Amino acid sequence: MLQHGPILERLLAGNFICQISDEDAFRHLSNEQTQQDINHYLRPLNRRLVSNDDNSVFFLGYHELNKDAREQLSSQFSLTVQSLMPLLEWLQLVQETLGRDSALTAGDTIKLQEFVLRTEDNQSLRQRLNQLASDRFFNSQSEQLDNQVKLIFRRLKEHGYLLQPHHDRQYYVVTGKIDYLIDVIRFIRDEEQLPVEDTPNQEALL
Amino acid sequence: MAALDSGSTAGTASNLFNIGSERLALLGKHHKALMQGYLDGFIDETAFSEGALKKLIAARILWRPDEQQPLALRPLVSELIASMVADENRRQINADVAEKLEQIRNRVQAYRDAQYKGDYSVAELQLQRLTEHVHDLSGQFEEAIDSLWHRLNSDFGFVASLDDKIRENERAQKQLRRLLDGLDLLDFSELIELSEGNNHLRKLLVSQLQNQLSSHHSSLLEVQKRLVELLAKFRQQQARSLLISNMAAFLRQHPKYQPADYPNRSELPALFNQAAAIIPQASIALDKASERQTLAELVRALPRSKPVNLLDNQSASFSSVWVDEEIAARQQALKTDVENFYLRVIDQGGKLSALSYLEQQALEWDSEIWLYQIIAEYQALPQDEKQMFAILRDEAPASAMNQLLLIRDISLQLQVQAA
Repeated sequence: MLQHGPILERLLAGNFICQISDEDAFRHLSNEQTQQDINHYLRPLNRRLVSNDDNSVFFLGYHELNKDAREQLSSQFSLTVQSLMPLLEWLQLVQETLGRDSALTAGDTIKLQEFVLRTEDNQSLRQRLNQLASDRFFNSQSEQLDNQVKLIFRRLKEHGYLLQPHHDRQYYVVTGKIDYLIDVIRFIRDEEQLPVEDTPNQEALL
Repeated sequence: MAALDSGSTAGTASNLFNIGSERLALLGKHHKALMQGYLDGFIDETAFSEGALKKLIAARILWRPDEQQPLALRPLVSELIASMVADENRRQINADVAEKLEQIRNRVQAYRDAQYKGDYSVAELQLQRLTEHVHDLSGQFEEAIDSLWHRLNSDFGFVASLDDKIRENERAQKQLRRLLDGLDLLDFSELIELSEGNNHLRKLLVSQLQNQLSSHHSSLLEVQKRLVELLAKFRQQQARSLLISNMAAFLRQHPKYQPADYPNRSELPALFNQAAAIIPQASIALDKASERQTLAELVRALPRSKPVNLLDNQSASFSSVWVDEEIAARQQALKTDVENFYLRVIDQGGKLSALSYLEQQALEWDSEIWLYQIIAEYQALPQDEKQMFAILRDEAPASAMNQLLLIRDISLQLQVQAA
C-alpha cells in the first residue's frame, strides 16, 4: 500500500485523477488489482474509488451511505448544480473566443494571453466575460479584463478543471474533470428527459 | 522491315521527346503565374504575353472551359500540382482498376504475339510498356493511400469546421471503399494464367504485383480502421458541443431549474457519490527511539534565526575602547529620540504606537533598532516608573510551522494609577 501513498493522499484530499492531471497515478488506478487494494484500504474511512462511465477520471465516494454522507452529498450536489451554468457559459465562451471548431476536451491547452487579446477588442465577448466573472461561482470584484480572466482561470484550477503546468507561465491544460462535468450534464438530461439534443437534427443535415 | 519499324519508332520518340521537353519547360518558365492560377482557380491573362498564352493553350496546360469563362489550368495539370504539394482539398483519387486491368491484358497479348512472331525488339518494347502499366496500377494505389494518410494525420485540418471534417471523413471512407472494391477486381488466378510459362511475366504480374497489392490492401484496411475511429471522435466532439450549447440554452431559459434530488435516492448514481475531503495530518512522534536520530537531524537542519547582538553596556571599560565618537553620537541621538517618544506618551496620555511615531516624526532609525531601544529604555526604568507605563507588544508567529513570536510593533500607554 505504501507505494500508493501519494495517490491516496490526493484522492482523500478530494482531487479528481485523470490521465492529464497525473498520468502515472491514472495508470495505476486503471489496474483492477490496485483498485481493489485501494478500496480495501479505504474501507475503514468509509470511502471507495468511483469513476465516470468511461473510466477517464477517478475520485472518492462513500462506501456506505449513512446520514452524514447523504447530507454531504446533498450539499455537494447543489454546488455542482449551481456551477453548471457558469461552467457551460465558460466552455462556450472559450470555444467562441478562440475560434475552435469543437468543445474543449481533456488535454486541450488554453493560453491566457491569447484569450485576453481576443476578448479585448470584441465588445460582445467582453460583455459576456464581464457577466461570467461576476457570477457567484467566480465572484470577481474587478472591472479589469485581465484580472477577471486570471481569476476565472484560477478558480477553475482550484476546482480541478484546469491544470497549470508551470506556476509562472500563463497557460492551462484542460483536465479529465471536464469529462465528468459532461457526464453529469448528460445524466441529468437523460434522467429528466430534458429537451436538450446532442445529435444534429435531420433538418440541419439537409 | 524491322529496321524501318524501329527507325520510325525512334523518330516518333525523338519527336515526342522534343515536344514534351519543350512543354515541360513552359511549365517551369511560367511557374509563378501558373501556381497563382492554381490557387485562384483562373489565370490572370495580363500576366502573360499573347504568344505565351497561345503556347500554353497549345501545350494543353491552359484551357477555356467555356466562352464566358477565364482561362484556367487543365484538370490534369491541377491534379499534378495537387499531388505534388499534397493539397488535400484538390487532390484526386483514381480508383479505376478495370481500365488498367484491361490495358494489362492487352499488353500481355501483344507481348505474346510479338514473341510468337519472333519479333524481339517489339516484344521488348511491349514488355517495357507492360511494366509501366503494372507500376502505374501499383502507384495509383500508393498515391491514394498517401493522400488518405495525409488527410488522416492532419485530422482533416485542411477544412475549418467540424461539420466539414465529418463530411470529408465520410468522403474519404467512400473513396476507400472504391479502392478496396478495385483491389477485389484483381483476380490473381487470372494473372497467373496470363503469365503462364514466362518467367518475366510471372515475376512482374505475380510475385511483384501480388506483393505490392497485398501490402496496399493491409494499408487500406488500417486507414479504414483509423478513419472510422476518427469519425467516431468527430461525432463525439460534435455531440459534446451540441450538448453544451443546448444545455446552456435550456438553463438560460429556465433559470430556476432544479434537477431531482439524486443524492437522496436509494440507488445513488455513482457520478454524484463525491465524498468530502480528508486531509491527513501528522506530527512528530517521539515514542520510537530508533527514529530519534532522524528527528534530531531534522531539527538540526531547521533554519535557525541568528542570535541577535544586543547593544549592551555590560562593561563600560571594555566598550569605551570600541566606541568611537561618531557611534557614540548616534547612540546618544537615538536615546534622545526615544526619550522624546516617552515624553510624547506622557503628554498625550493615550496609547501610542512606536512605529507610527517613528513614521510621523520622519526619524531615520531602522524600525528594528527603534523598537529595541524603546524596550531597552523601558527595561532601564526604575521599578516604580516602569509601572506607570503599559507596554503592549503586537506579535505574530514567524510562520505556520514556527511558533517563534516576532514583535511587529510596540504601543506604550500611560497608566493612571489607582493609588
